[in-house]
Amino acid sequence: MTIEPMRLTVVTETNSAKRLRKRIFSVVAHVLLISASIVMLYPLLWMLSASFRPENEIFNATSLWPSSWSLDAYFRGWNGLRVSFGTFFINSFIISILSVIGNVAACSMAAFAFARLEFRGRRFWFAMMLMTLMLPYQVTLIPQYVLFLNLGWVNTTLPLVVPKFLAADAFFIFLMVQFFRGIPKELDEAAVMDGCSPWRVYWKIMLPLSTPVLATAAIFTFIWTWDDFFGPLIYLSDMRQYTVMLGLRSFTDSTGLSDYGGLFAMSVLSLVPIFLFFLFFQRLLIEGIATTGMKR
Amino acid sequence: MTARSLATGASSGERAASPSVWSRIWQNDAPGYLFLLPWFIGFLGLTIGPILTSLYLSFTHFDLLTAPRWAGADNYVRMFTNDAKFFASMRVTVFFVIFSVPLKLAFALAVALLLNRGMRGLPLYRALFYLPSLLGASVAIAILWRQIFAGDGLVNQVLALFGIQGPSWISNPNTSLWTLIFLSIWQFGSPMIIFLAGLRQIPQDMYEAASLDGAGRWRQFWKITLPLLTPVVFFNAIIQTIEAFKSFTPAFIISGGTGNPINSTLFYTLYLYQEAFGYFRMGYASALAWVLLAIVGLFTAFSFLTSKYWVHYDD
Repeated sequence: MTIEPMRLTVVTETNSAKRLRKRIFSVVAHVLLISASIVMLYPLLWMLSASFRPENEIFNATSLWPSSWSLDAYFRGWNGLRVSFGTFFINSFIISILSVIGNVAACSMAAFAFARLEFRGRRFWFAMMLMTLMLPYQVTLIPQYVLFLNLGWVNTTLPLVVPKFLAADAFFIFLMVQFFRGIPKELDEAAVMDGCSPWRVYWKIMLPLSTPVLATAAIFTFIWTWDDFFGPLIYLSDMRQYTVMLGLRSFTDSTGLSDYGGLFAMSVLSLVPIFLFFLFFQRLLIEGIATTGMKR
Repeated sequence: MTARSLATGASSGERAASPSVWSRIWQNDAPGYLFLLPWFIGFLGLTIGPILTSLYLSFTHFDLLTAPRWAGADNYVRMFTNDAKFFASMRVTVFFVIFSVPLKLAFALAVALLLNRGMRGLPLYRALFYLPSLLGASVAIAILWRQIFAGDGLVNQVLALFGIQGPSWISNPNTSLWTLIFLSIWQFGSPMIIFLAGLRQIPQDMYEAASLDGAGRWRQFWKITLPLLTPVVFFNAIIQTIEAFKSFTPAFIISGGTGNPINSTLFYTLYLYQEAFGYFRMGYASALAWVLLAIVGLFTAFSFLTSKYWVHYDD
């Protein structure tokens, strides 16, 4: 009779001890994670605040809050080079948006062929496509440059945009093939029975059902093209053609060492489009990475 | 008619044979190849053609202005016998890969494990840790990094609060490469997301069973989590290693395109760029590209061959 209540108290004790341990663990984990986030994001926030500081205050303050706010650096940076940053932003937008259109169109067509159409050599070409995923771009770099030079395309945006219309970024084909394979085949079989051509199946059934993957591809294409430095570096030499990334690089070469404020202001501006994607399409980006293992 | 060109599972002999071979090819194969056409042009013109051309160019001297001159194996011989910069760039790149990839993955795994234990606010943390990955490839971040680790930069200002006089990390050849490794580790977000997705695949009842058998957390990690996660580790390691070999922008921006101080940040890709577009030695740069392809190819083949000894696959 006396044993039973005792056992009960022991059980509740270990339970509450367990709960306490769990609580402590959770608090410690949160403290760890919060401090890690602060350390990681501090440089970004610091650059943001530096871009709003008066010039003389940039280097002697570790705090994030400027003593007085000023937009001077933005005006200085915007016109800090021979050509205004406005031109660079327009160029970057044009290249990125054309790349998105080309990439989504060409890659979804190729992916449709690989996922749904039957033709001789399909497996072979699919394997070839997968091989190109692993290829370091340096191997094709020089002949491509020679090709574009002979076509008279160097110092235009064509070498940066045309390859996207030829589905050169095979990664997105792979991404879309995976998605298309998940769409029930009954849907397009029924359409074919009703006399739909492959083109109509692609246009009326596959694409409307694939908006998540198309959006993911579009966003990543935009971000990667926006960030691309190497392509513009070798193909664009006239400053009026420059992208934002090239503009920033010129800034570091010339005035950047004297005008850190302007440099930071333009750096912050260059990150804004990417940050907006992050803000509004975070779910899509993270799911895209989780399901396909994207590199960044 | 085009029904048979779709992969409906109908075998090709099901209907009556079409009148001519050509019309059958047109019906069966044409739609596929038409949809593939853009990719096909790109594949031939921008991938296969250039690969073969680049192999040829690697055996020539070529300066873009005059026609390539056949050089036999000269480029390769020079590279391995008489080019200190080649070896310097190789050393820098291998050092970068060996330290940045494991550290980045270890960090990504550690944070993923912590987040996976039902932490409240997981979506927020995940997003915050992912942000550097997303922004990191930008020139703007490389510029920021150059400032942070400069002699009068943010890091030294923080150290000064503790009375420590830090060196100029960027212009010191002993530390300059570490700033780049640090930048790479800072971007651990996307492998972390992949680890999180992998961790969620591990059935929870395995832990319950292990727990009943008296296995502690530490043992559970080594006996359950890690073995079941090896396919994801393998995947992340391959992707990150290839990316690390290809890394270019940060080293270019931070060293102003030189790879200095004393070649300590001369990434292989940076050296290749200098040879090709600084000195216009296109033949030599092509040879460098082929050596890079060989290294990445060997590494990948080696990883896949050894993977069966340590990567756990469900049967």
